[in-house]
Amino acid sequence: MTNREGPGCIEAGILENALAMIAVMDKSGTILAWNQAAEKITGYSKDEVIGKTTIWKKLYPKKGYRDTVTQRIATILTTKKYFENFETIITTRSGVSRIILWNTRESPNTSGSVIVTVGQDITRLRELDMFRDSVIENANVLIAVMESEGTIAVWNKAAEEITGYSRTEAVGSRAVWRHLYPDPEYRRTVTRQITEIISTKSYFTNFETRIRTKTGESRVISWNTRQIGKDSQQYAIAIGRDITEQKKAEEALLAYMTEMAMRIKQPVEIVRDNLEDIAQLIRNGKISPDEVAMLLDAQVRNTAQIASNVQEFQKAILEKNTDIPEAYRKFLEG
Amino acid sequence: MASIVSPEELAQKRIFLVLATPGNIRQRNIDLIREISDLGYHTVVITANFPYSILSKLYGEQGIDMTKVSFIDAVTRNSIGNAEEIPGIVRFINNPANLTDLGIAVTEILKERSGQKVCILFDSISTLLIYLSSPNISKFIHFVTNKLRLMDISGIFLATEKGLDPMLMTQLTTFVDTVIDTG
Repeated sequence: MTNREGPGCIEAGILENALAMIAVMDKSGTILAWNQAAEKITGYSKDEVIGKTTIWKKLYPKKGYRDTVTQRIATILTTKKYFENFETIITTRSGVSRIILWNTRESPNTSGSVIVTVGQDITRLRELDMFRDSVIENANVLIAVMESEGTIAVWNKAAEEITGYSRTEAVGSRAVWRHLYPDPEYRRTVTRQITEIISTKSYFTNFETRIRTKTGESRVISWNTRQIGKDSQQYAIAIGRDITEQKKAEEALLAYMTEMAMRIKQPVEIVRDNLEDIAQLIRNGKISPDEVAMLLDAQVRNTAQIASNVQEFQKAILEKNTDIPEAYRKFLEG
Repeated sequence: MASIVSPEELAQKRIFLVLATPGNIRQRNIDLIREISDLGYHTVVITANFPYSILSKLYGEQGIDMTKVSFIDAVTRNSIGNAEEIPGIVRFINNPANLTDLGIAVTEILKERSGQKVCILFDSISTLLIYLSSPNISKFIHFVTNKLRLMDISGIFLATEKGLDPMLMTQLTTFVDTVIDTG
């Protein structure tokens, strides 16, 4: 730290104890002050840094990257005397990379002016950003973040895969919604339903719509939304789960169950009623033993067919469900 | 007793789907034959439930003129293996699931009765469900109703009420002109 006395002591104390790294330089880049946070973040002590210009070479050991940073700084300084939110990656003494967000100010000094450089270690923040981006990107659900009026700001990989529309096609406009709901009547219905839901609560859950993909395929999407952001900038995040296959399976199951009811339950009832009729005919002495035998034979055929139908259904269940335990599988195979 | 199908609609060669409870369906069959016969129609009964020999006995006991009834029997041969056809009275189908033979029998019997007042009575769609899937039944009924319309003949399909799934019911409703639930 610089050796200052009097009122300057307060400033020196603030500078020294700030959480962000602070470096004070003269015009030639010689370090005049280097606070504790700078020491902690970079691993380089005041003694190694103050009075020298060599620290930058150490923080940017790769020449190529150092030249790039220098070039970018030079470009910024051609238009203004400071830079804001300038992001670089430094290498610490221990060889670890840290992402630093730099802000500089030129400050008057007894000997002219100095440059105060504040560096905020945003490594953790960036890691979180990257983690969040990665989660969004790699989620197996469609994620669309929308600005007001439905303009797409984020369109993840699953959104591209499900809809067929690329990020480039989707982001920056709301045209993709029109493509996904090409039928004006259906689009109006969906919009009306969404508006109705939003008017009572600011989000909706498990709202199902049928979209048309870029290749013309129809997919069923279950939507969940949330409002995010604060007063000035509101976003809506829409998460869409492709439930097309699930829907097909549900429909198939329903069809299967009804077919089973029709072809097993009702036939059994028919056989029961037939047997009742046959019993009545026998009691009333209206049919001969040969006719009784023929009628009973017919019911035997009917029940044999019903048993065969049951077997057929069991087979269908086995074919559709590969995770049925072996013991049950053998039992169902009969 | 009020008639189940209206004579006017029958005269207009309409096609009906008549629903009845399982306990009533046999009686509805007999009631319909009587009604149709009384109106001067010859009824071709396609039976997939009770054999021709029993039905003809039951009809006879109910006072139905058996000269006005003939049969396509899909039960007898399936039960006892063999039965001799009686021209003009009964044709046999080996198995109710054999829709090709059933279709041929319907076509031929309608040709034989060409120019007469004929009505087909199909007993029943519900029994056919023992032997055939609903899509196959739907296709077959579509085929028969088309045939009836082309030949300008009335037809009645019997089924137990609440025994057909909504999809099959919707399809059948589109094939016929009138659905009558007799309870």
